Amino acid sequence: MSARALRAEGARGGTGAGGADDAVLAYRARLADLLQGPPKARARLVEEIGDGFADTVAALRGAGWETADAVRRAEREFGTPEELAPGCQRELTIAQARHTARAVALTAPLLLACWYPLRNADPARDGWLPHLAQWLALGLAGVAAVAALGAVWALGSTGRVSRWLPVPRGLPGAVGWLGTTASGAMAGSALALTLVAALATHWPLVALAGLASAACHAWVASSARACRRCARLPAPA
Amino acid sequence: MKADAVRGHLDGLLLAVLEQGPLHGYAIITAVQRRSGGALDLRTGTIYPALNRLERQGLLSSDWESIGERRRRCYQLTDAGRAALAGKRADWRAFTSAIGAVLDPATPGNATPGNAT
Repeated sequence: MSARALRAEGARGGTGAGGADDAVLAYRARLADLLQGPPKARARLVEEIGDGFADTVAALRGAGWETADAVRRAEREFGTPEELAPGCQRELTIAQARHTARAVALTAPLLLACWYPLRNADPARDGWLPHLAQWLALGLAGVAAVAALGAVWALGSTGRVSRWLPVPRGLPGAVGWLGTTASGAMAGSALALTLVAALATHWPLVALAGLASAACHAWVASSARACRRCARLPAPA
Repeated sequence: MKADAVRGHLDGLLLAVLEQGPLHGYAIITAVQRRSGGALDLRTGTIYPALNRLERQGLLSSDWESIGERRRRCYQLTDAGRAALAGKRADWRAFTSAIGAVLDPATPGNATPGNAT
């Protein structure tokens, strides 16, 4: 549930169980407002923490505390959203970096596959432009291949390997820029493929490759942007 | 016990309370508090990102389960988690033995680690 929906539900009085429900919804909304990352991972973390806070309030009310006092005491024991956010953000930033790295690792091989019909395209007209486009696409495919290797390394180092080797603090930012570079290569490749498609005799295949390249660019670029944004947020010392 | 001191051992504490079987987040919090007699000064909400991290590292697995009328995310140890817990226990025993031998050499059982047999 989004932060806006949580606030709206809180304003309506939650599930009708009174002030405690409102306080829990407000707590969840405050936490959701402070966090950025992959929507599914963020929603899961907010839901789990909201449930834990609700349980803490309920336990205190069960022990005889008034609702307002129980909520205050629960925030002190459990931690305020502002206190919990940096630790949560660190995990969400790593989750976003893994998301971006996965997108790069999956799409870069597709870009290499897109280059194949371009290499074999037979430009209908002679001239330097189709050949330049072919060489440009080859170079960009090389960039994407290097980015894919970097993405696989990032996935490995943020997974099980991090039991022994802590994830470097700058890694999510580096993955964000890696994704941006790969998405730039994909955009250039899409342009080159479109150009060659216009000149090639077997243009449908090349045009299809161009479309695939553009779609990959859109996916990777948005994920990389989100990753860079997360990497700029404060993390625990 | 200060929060900073606890933080360094949080992973071990979480793995240890999950040794008996799967638990959801709040049950893990109450288990840690019960076992420690409430002596650990810890913002209990901080366990949730720690559980996420342990899951990412492959030491825990988790799934949504219906408990009563509510849906809860329950965590359980993986084989790697059990191995990690055994390692943390061994490290802790070696550490307390070494520190104990220095701080309180007269107490039986606090033998110097290098001389222990």
